[in-house]
Amino acid sequence: MESRLLKPILAVYVGLFLLFLYGPFIVLGILSFQQGPEGGPQFPIQEWSVFWYKHILGLAPPSRVSPLPIGISLTRSLTLAGMTMVTSTVLGVMAAQAFRRNFKGKSAAFYLIVLGMIVPGVLVGLGSALVATTTGLERHWYSTAFATHVVYTLPFAFLVMLAIFNRFDASVEEAAWSLGVPPATTFRKVTFPLIFPGVLSAMLFAFTLSYDEFSRTLFSSGREQTLPLAIYSTFAVEIHPNVFAFGVLTTLFSFALLTVYAILMTLSVRRAKRVAIQEAV
Amino acid sequence: MSYDLELINVGKVYDNGTPAVIDFNLIVNKGEFIAFLGPSGCGKTTTLRMIAGFESITSGDILIRGKVINDQPAEQRPTAMIFQNYALFPHMSVRENVRFGLDVKKIAKPERDAKVERILDKLGITDIGDHRPDRLSGGQKQRIALARALVVEPDILLLDEPLGALDANLRKSIQNELKLLQRRLGVTFVFVTHAQSEALALSDRIVVMNAGRIEQVSAPYELYTRPKTLFVAKFIGRNALIPGRVVAFEGGGVTLDTMFGQLVGSAHGQTPGVGDAASLAVPAEAIDVLPLETPLETIVATYGGPAIKARVESISQVGHIVQIAAAIGAEAPVLVEFHVDKYAGHFAERAEVLLAWRRDAATLVVH
Repeated sequence: MESRLLKPILAVYVGLFLLFLYGPFIVLGILSFQQGPEGGPQFPIQEWSVFWYKHILGLAPPSRVSPLPIGISLTRSLTLAGMTMVTSTVLGVMAAQAFRRNFKGKSAAFYLIVLGMIVPGVLVGLGSALVATTTGLERHWYSTAFATHVVYTLPFAFLVMLAIFNRFDASVEEAAWSLGVPPATTFRKVTFPLIFPGVLSAMLFAFTLSYDEFSRTLFSSGREQTLPLAIYSTFAVEIHPNVFAFGVLTTLFSFALLTVYAILMTLSVRRAKRVAIQEAV
Repeated sequence: MSYDLELINVGKVYDNGTPAVIDFNLIVNKGEFIAFLGPSGCGKTTTLRMIAGFESITSGDILIRGKVINDQPAEQRPTAMIFQNYALFPHMSVRENVRFGLDVKKIAKPERDAKVERILDKLGITDIGDHRPDRLSGGQKQRIALARALVVEPDILLLDEPLGALDANLRKSIQNELKLLQRRLGVTFVFVTHAQSEALALSDRIVVMNAGRIEQVSAPYELYTRPKTLFVAKFIGRNALIPGRVVAFEGGGVTLDTMFGQLVGSAHGQTPGVGDAASLAVPAEAIDVLPLETPLETIVATYGGPAIKARVESISQVGHIVQIAAAIGAEAPVLVEFHVDKYAGHFAERAEVLLAWRRDAATLVVH
């Protein structure tokens, strides 16, 4: 009785959820095929074309719409995201590993780390810009912005790893120690392979969060813009469908990233399942 | 001569102030099979983990082969541990699991591989050497865990409820294997369990623990027949406990004033003071059930003392064993077990009977 009513309600709910999640993207995707260079970022579609995709790749004939300044900023953003991913994940794993033991000031340290994702980004960006100006430090995407990105993404990597370690059966480590294997080797050969699915998730979090970070970067990156800043600055003048085309390409890139993640995850979850089976017996 | 393992006044207090282990003293000879037995939370696993080096000790000393190892990290101690959940490395094959402890030791590859193959063969798991541990049975995992620990040739093997995860039949057979293996290798085993049948069947000596303290250290038979404390008398076997007060103590024999009059038992090395509150513990197996009309002279002639009156509360038969619960007044009913054929005429429920035992079967338990 209850489930007969519940099921359609849930179905509608899920439908709405998907609509809100993907609706904007679908509109964006359709508009990216607007005719160019005269076609604007609105319906109706005057004529279907791939002009704006060509425009992004620099294959379209010159027109009054200037090309998106994405080449260099994309490289910057990817490099920054990569640097942030590695640093935050390494620090996150290490911090979570430290939190497996009890130490003085543990809860204070916890909130201090997590604060990085709670404080408003604009304030952090502004603050770091001020600090840089006062100390005479030059602002760059690879220095000041990098630091704010790490502060922002570290808590995510840390929390992911904390959850992973929470479910981790420490007796395999103890077994290794009792066989005479030193802790460092044990971590490398036993702990790390078993927590690897979590490390992957932490990496994905750190990468994506850094890749589209805006508010912190705005003030802390100096003159050289990252991709979100570059796109925003073109909005400030006039919006053309080339931004939409670029959005589609970025999303496809994200999906590619997710696919790689999913493949790696399946491989290591298969292993994790084996652990679970072993524990259950 | 030094012992394999010595624990001298070892104590452990947790950070929050709760004591886990209090004043633990034990000396273990080489090749001995020691069981730590007690209810959960009694400190037996903590003690084992202190020997392994996974837990720090708050006071006292732990010595292995005469050397103090209090501050030695786990990987430098000559111990290896078997875990209840086996703690096999799921991402390695059986052979890699077994080889893992040897990999960090500086030994030549041929010698290392020979050692691995020898132990795999000894435990009969050569044919699953290339399998991952995940799909294997509990018994096979148990053997892998044993092979992995024994291949590094520890002085002392520590086993934390290693049979707990196995089903009853498998437990019996692995139990026998374990005993044979230990005899053959001559390695000292320290075994933690909450199942008294395991401890009684396997070990040379049993350390009974309760609330962080050692209650008694004895060989299984002695522990079973001669409990020293009230806790042991209640925890091990099925003892009838008759409370009273010590009225006389001489020559190893002790007389208690009880609700059934004066009863005599063995002090078994204990030195009670006259007037002490104490109980007599009588193993259920030592108690005979007699018809109420049995003449006193016969009883005294057979058992060397009087019998006590009881009323049969319930009778149950499990296979060839008959269990009788007999009420003896205010105390918990006495459980008596005997073979079906022992008494020709069975006793009826609610029947008045006499319970008698040879006087030296009763042991003094000081409160």
